[in-house]
Amino acid sequence: MIEFRDVHASYDEDIKVLDGVSFQIPDGEFVAFVGTNGAGKSTTMRLMNGLLKPDAGQVLLDGVPTTELKTSQIARRVGFLFQNPDSQICCSTVREELLFGFKALGEEGPDAEAAVDGVIREFGFDADADPFLLNRGTRQLLALASIVVLAPPVVILDEPTTGLDFRECMKVMGIIRRLNEVGATIVMVCHDMEVVADFARRVIVMSAGAVVDDGPTFDVLRNPHALGRASLIPPQVVDISLALPLMDERLVESPVALANTLDEMQAAVSEEAGR
Amino acid sequence: MIHIQDFTFRYRESERPVVEGVTLDIPAGVFAGITGAAGSGKSTLTYAMNGIIPHCYPGDFYGTVTVDGVDTCTATLTDLSRAVGSVCQDIDSQIVTSIVEDEVLYGLENFGVPHDRIEARVTEALEAMGIADLRERAIASLSGGQKQKVAIASVLALHPKVLVLDEPTAELDPASSRQVFELLAAYARDNGTTVVVVEQKIALLSEFADVLIIVDGGRIRFAAPPREVLAHSEELLELGVNCPRSTTLMNRLANAGLYTGPVCCDVREASEALLEVVA
Repeated sequence: MIEFRDVHASYDEDIKVLDGVSFQIPDGEFVAFVGTNGAGKSTTMRLMNGLLKPDAGQVLLDGVPTTELKTSQIARRVGFLFQNPDSQICCSTVREELLFGFKALGEEGPDAEAAVDGVIREFGFDADADPFLLNRGTRQLLALASIVVLAPPVVILDEPTTGLDFRECMKVMGIIRRLNEVGATIVMVCHDMEVVADFARRVIVMSAGAVVDDGPTFDVLRNPHALGRASLIPPQVVDISLALPLMDERLVESPVALANTLDEMQAAVSEEAGR
Repeated sequence: MIHIQDFTFRYRESERPVVEGVTLDIPAGVFAGITGAAGSGKSTLTYAMNGIIPHCYPGDFYGTVTVDGVDTCTATLTDLSRAVGSVCQDIDSQIVTSIVEDEVLYGLENFGVPHDRIEARVTEALEAMGIADLRERAIASLSGGQKQKVAIASVLALHPKVLVLDEPTAELDPASSRQVFELLAAYARDNGTTVVVVEQKIALLSEFADVLIIVDGGRIRFAAPPREVLAHSEELLELGVNCPRSTTLMNRLANAGLYTGPVCCDVREASEALLEVVA
């Protein structure tokens, strides 16, 4: 469980970034944080993994304030994928990169080697490749793999799909979904509202350092007021579903006014057209 | 404005050409969007347009690339940069000063723009990108979106005939991404500037581009108005290009025999078309 209790944070006294943020994320959730650049999303992620400490309020991991935990204790519980994979890649081969986390935690040995071999197979990496010669999408996958291999109970991802093409995006998100299915808590910052709609089960909207909406994905994505406050645009199918009843009031109670996904909208339109 | 004929390029260190047999015409004043999977050759095409290829990256160059009637192989990079303004994928690698105003001044001074015209050019460029209020700000204190706009403004100040931008909205939120496209389109329309944008956000390209160019394996698979290209949503998906959901929805309904109208490029078009389908 991750819990924020009335958290305030700033980078110096003049620039306040978070202004009284509270939420709870129970184990096994898949949460997306959305909002404009500068809303405080990345700061919230840094507070979760202890890179930043709150000015006031508390950030608790399983009931313990992060201020009372050592960095290594947090690192074992919380994996963190930076927005730019080059911020975390530091070794000269893929294999060394994947072993790096175990070395940093003092957990080298046959189990670590076996875990690395498994991840190399799962991701289809060339173990001897130089990470810095890989393309952007593969470097992102390697950065993700270096977290997956440690199997932390919580995985935080800051914009995991930025700069990736559609196929790479689906591959990265597929791996993240599988992590969640086997029990990991996923907390992700994401600007791509289609990805949020496809993968997250809960959405927290931030604006100007505060939480302005928090709930099941489509409850939030269908709330134009909260999205508007954060200058966000709903995913396209939701946008259409919200627009149609406004264009023709006979559609207010119809299934097209409730459709959230492509499949739901296609079925709803077929049903409506058949009447 | 941009004429590419039988262009093939192989980087010195790579075994095979990254771009192969490309022929492409982008007339003056056109807003062209380029997309495709990673490694398909999109950025290499833009390097050919702004002269980075062949002047900075050595390799085997076949065919011809002319911009505003000038052969990019024979012109110097300095002369090309007067016609073509470029914004890189990595904004931090492009920014050289620490204050917004200095960043916009830098190019103007390097190009020898007379001192009495510089003030107006700086103001005009900052206003065109909607960041006049950031003029005195330290660049290090700006958000990613604001930095992106500073980089574009510093190129607009030079009054290029062609603007080449490589993923200018990669790190921006949806509202800022849309705003950058709106500002670019308005500037291009008012000044007759030719714009070439490489972008993964296909919904924005579909809405703003006059021509949508799909690159796959170093070759151009489609180069046509977005409406024509998006009609091929299944084929595009195989090339790693996902159409906007509004387009996919209407294409699916067309395949199911429920919709017979033109391809829809955005939410507004799809909503209006759907109203008729369910009427």
